[in-house]
Amino acid sequence: MAKAESEYKLFQGCTIGNRIPFIEVSSRKVFDKLGIKTSEGPFACCPDPVGFNAVDHTSWLAMAARNLTIAEQEGKDIVSLCNGCFQTLKAVNHELKHNEHEKEKINDILKTVKREFKGSISVKHFVEVLYDVGIDKIKEHVKNDFSGLKVACHTGCHYNRPSEIMQTDDPMKPKKLRELVAAVGATPVDYEEEMLCCGAGVGNAEEAPSMQVLANKFNSALDAGAEIFVVVCPACFQQMDTNQKKAGEQSNNEFKIPILYLTELFALAFGENPDDLGLKFHRSRLTSFLEKFGFK
Amino acid sequence: MVKVDYEFRKKIMDAHIIDTLKYCYQCNRCTDVCPIATIAPNRYNPRSLILNSFLGLKSAIFENEDNFFIWGCTVCDTCDEVCPQKIELTEVFTVLKNMSIAEGKGPEYYTTQATAIYESGKAIPSQPAIERRREQMSLPQIEPPNVEEVQKILNQTKLNTIINK
Repeated sequence: MAKAESEYKLFQGCTIGNRIPFIEVSSRKVFDKLGIKTSEGPFACCPDPVGFNAVDHTSWLAMAARNLTIAEQEGKDIVSLCNGCFQTLKAVNHELKHNEHEKEKINDILKTVKREFKGSISVKHFVEVLYDVGIDKIKEHVKNDFSGLKVACHTGCHYNRPSEIMQTDDPMKPKKLRELVAAVGATPVDYEEEMLCCGAGVGNAEEAPSMQVLANKFNSALDAGAEIFVVVCPACFQQMDTNQKKAGEQSNNEFKIPILYLTELFALAFGENPDDLGLKFHRSRLTSFLEKFGFK
Repeated sequence: MVKVDYEFRKKIMDAHIIDTLKYCYQCNRCTDVCPIATIAPNRYNPRSLILNSFLGLKSAIFENEDNFFIWGCTVCDTCDEVCPQKIELTEVFTVLKNMSIAEGKGPEYYTTQATAIYESGKAIPSQPAIERRREQMSLPQIEPPNVEEVQKILNQTKLNTIINK
């Protein structure tokens, strides 16, 4: 359960911090409103569970362990704004806590920089932290109700898989994001491909299959009547927000779907102004969605 | 003539410490749910990758001209979730990818990203334009990581030789 007065180390990750920082703006506003306290840390890349782990597994373990020791020094848990960082930090934390042999190996490496992994903190996804605040408490803050808005929820893969380690939510039928979206009045739609990957991972190797996966995802949500996507991972966000034209070309379609981060939907519901959230930096147009709900 | 590479086989089996890999009975659930095998069935097949891995048939994997055979995996972890024998397929695929990179056969994206992490500590290094944008949006500055520490660690793990730094 959430510790009421505790403070988290905020792990925004490379993509949000250094490429799409507007996501961090809405996240911080929502955290402030709900009394979730965070502080900064000199973290390096998590590192990327899809990219860096594929290059060298031991390097991935060691780099993640180093980040964990930074939070351990302050005795604070980590809250991640990104699925990728979450999976890396949580999985490595789990691996080293439960595998004495690996822990010894990694601590031998960390010795060169005078660090030691102890396994004394936990890693959380921001969706878990919001969920633990409580749906009722979130509802108290809602000024703009999104009643009537049909939402395709997309948790992304690394939010809840592999489930034995992640323990975030149901691995194939996650409910927390749906309940959070419903808390601000919107309606999560049931769509066939809810658990389908956004396709970003394979895109590192080849573009066409990545766009095909994305198009399949979009079509399934649109068939179910979704008006917008709500996502909780910057890699999924970028894939969905910037590649609609390419995914359309791949599948003889034209996609114009607003993609919102959960924290953006929340910030708007809590009364924030779209301009202050940097929504203009989205590639997919949000104008008609915003007008429909009375935002200028 | 089929050649079993025992060293390769040991590497695969060692990575999979729970030792469930040998219980794979090729039921094909992994491939049924794989989003990539669904759209590119002739180019990517997790069941066959697992088969060749636990049999030690290294050449069947690495002498395939199309490296999509390994790199098609989008790391969605869906196969891990549905495997009735609880085989962590994605961990095996990570071993194969690491070997492919070590042989210089990985897609460029991966070594480019690893180089950025080695040089700056971040997959996406900080840029003046984004720093200004952060300031305009009243976001705090990002505390830079200790790059010297990062490089000491990555020299220790020999990442520097993998990416030629």
